[in-house]
Amino acid sequence: MTAISQDQDPKPLVEIKELKKYFPIHKGFLRREVGAVRAVDDVSFYINEGETVGLVGESGCGKTTTARCIVKAIDATAGEIMYRTVDGSTVDLTQLSNAEMRPLRRDIQMIFQDPFSSLNPRMTIFEIISEPLLVNNIGTRQEREDRVHELLNQVGLRQEFMQRFPHAFSGGQRQRIGIARALAAQPRLIIADEPVSGLDVSVQAQVINLMMDLQDDFSLTYLFVSHDLNVINQISDRVVVMYVGRVVEVGTPKELFSSPKHPYTAALISALPKPDPKQKRQRTVLEGEVANPAAPPAGCYFHPRCPHAIELCKTEAPGMEEISPGRFVSCHRASELDLAGVSIPDSAD
Amino acid sequence: MSSGEIVTRSDEASRNPLLQVKGLETHFFTDEGTVRAVDGAEFEVYAGRTLGIVGESGCGKSVTAKSILQIVDRPGRVVDGEIIYSPRAEPERDLLKLGANSHEMRTVRGGEISMIFQEPISSFSPVHTFGNQIIEAIKLHTDLNNDDAYDLAVQWLERVGIPNPQQRLSEYPHQFSGGQRQRAMIAMALCTNPRILIADEPTTALDVTTQAQILDLLLQLRDENEMAIIFITHDLGVIAEIADDVAVMYLGQVVETAPVEEIFESPKHPYTIALLNSIPSMVAAPRDRLPSITGAIPHPQNRPSGCPFHPRCPSFIPDVCNQREPSNTMIDSDRKVRCFLHEVI
Repeated sequence: MTAISQDQDPKPLVEIKELKKYFPIHKGFLRREVGAVRAVDDVSFYINEGETVGLVGESGCGKTTTARCIVKAIDATAGEIMYRTVDGSTVDLTQLSNAEMRPLRRDIQMIFQDPFSSLNPRMTIFEIISEPLLVNNIGTRQEREDRVHELLNQVGLRQEFMQRFPHAFSGGQRQRIGIARALAAQPRLIIADEPVSGLDVSVQAQVINLMMDLQDDFSLTYLFVSHDLNVINQISDRVVVMYVGRVVEVGTPKELFSSPKHPYTAALISALPKPDPKQKRQRTVLEGEVANPAAPPAGCYFHPRCPHAIELCKTEAPGMEEISPGRFVSCHRASELDLAGVSIPDSAD
Repeated sequence: MSSGEIVTRSDEASRNPLLQVKGLETHFFTDEGTVRAVDGAEFEVYAGRTLGIVGESGCGKSVTAKSILQIVDRPGRVVDGEIIYSPRAEPERDLLKLGANSHEMRTVRGGEISMIFQEPISSFSPVHTFGNQIIEAIKLHTDLNNDDAYDLAVQWLERVGIPNPQQRLSEYPHQFSGGQRQRAMIAMALCTNPRILIADEPTTALDVTTQAQILDLLLQLRDENEMAIIFITHDLGVIAEIADDVAVMYLGQVVETAPVEEIFESPKHPYTIALLNSIPSMVAAPRDRLPSITGAIPHPQNRPSGCPFHPRCPSFIPDVCNQREPSNTMIDSDRKVRCFLHEVI
């Protein structure tokens, strides 16, 4: 199997190699381990410095688990997460102890999906945003206050809000507070787990624009996790598509959406409602449901739902192949299939 | 264009609306003051067609649906308006004149007008088997005996695409997957052959591939049963797929109604235009900035004066929009818009 890796410049900031995370299933009086949910089952991709990688897939495909492994909120079962530190050396995050991880936590911050449960209701906005500074012993009280002022400005909130509590804010404003908190300790990598999924469309657009502006201003690197292909297209430089714990396809949004190579990517694109009534009911609806990660089918995990499956797919899992520079597909029939994507008008270039 | 449209709705039944909502006002009387959740909503529903109600959170789309069935939670109350229900061969009735607990309203609710919800798990009883629940619904609205009700339930589960119906009827809701649960809920709502199905964000909690299956199922069942669907969603993509007519809501008002093609091709209300522009798209150039609507949806306690959209509106007319409320203006035989830009003065 060819692991997805890149040796040339720009050097990846993070490189994930054959990452696995199994959650054991316990049963019976003795809580014996009877199996495992393979939430992440062999995931490899890299994130270059300064780019946004979109991680997309349906619920239960392991995208959030992958994100949580990278911030070390949970420990990976196997695999490597190679992170290039500020001084240029590379460390494997999965091997670090909590004490060794501590200085790196400043570099890697997270933005969460639900802006209602990710802010402590008993803390003021100042306390919430300055918390990362406090735990990392950065600055005096006055300096922290100045920093929070600056951050509120950057995310488009007024300074008077500092002493208020989260309940006084709308969903969009809370997400801005979450972003300010993630930015406080000047991170290099931000893992955003469905940051706009809970927001209304009009507010969603504001938050996406804000995240893109902040990326340009502070040369941030994003891993943007979402189930929404439209949002992923809007913000990503490269996209990783996951299905039941595995990566099925990697490429730029334009490549992926205009000419998908994996039948699952094509099905996702086809299932997505298009905001254009003239295109209605032209889709191929995928049969069946997402495979159970505790008892995945043999061979390619997608074969029971795949309209193009052949005998080989039922027995042998396809390896990851690089079909053009930076474009990876895991499908036995990738080269012979001609799959439909969306037609992207030339004016969009 | 619109006249051709009307000719195709040839038979009498579909030209006359099945349900007409006029000047609906549903208010919530809270300790902090009155919230006008629905503030003069107006729209029509035709047999065999899907009306999509679209709007952002807090625009009153769910409360509107609940008002039709008179199941608004306290402290909410329908304070004004008419909901005229006129099925073929029956005299028309104003549903709001029927008491919420009257026998007549109870036959309409669940019998002639059914509703499905966003999260089916919370609409089922967790301690009764699914079979118990659907058979109870059938027996409540028909005079079938137990065996016939059971057979009908099996038939409906088959029709909505649930494999092994006999076995599934003896299972509990938690044993169903999300998509199966929504299918089961649709079966339960439709087993009484309602004339109108109200679907309140039925696919929002589902994955896109499952969502596509459920949308197809709803359209197929609508055509088979010639029923009307009121489909409530915040997702304009879903609206484009499923709706024939669209009502756009903002802060309790229907700001624009039009056939679906016209909403997407030539939106008239500044809010509809802004909403359409702000959807991220797969065909847009990556990393393009999205046009966004400035500001946020006002808190329901601080409803702006005049047109509720004026503080965020790019076409705001000083001293007009913030002073008076625009009226619902007919701009074409099948289009209405609530905006001073289109009001004939």
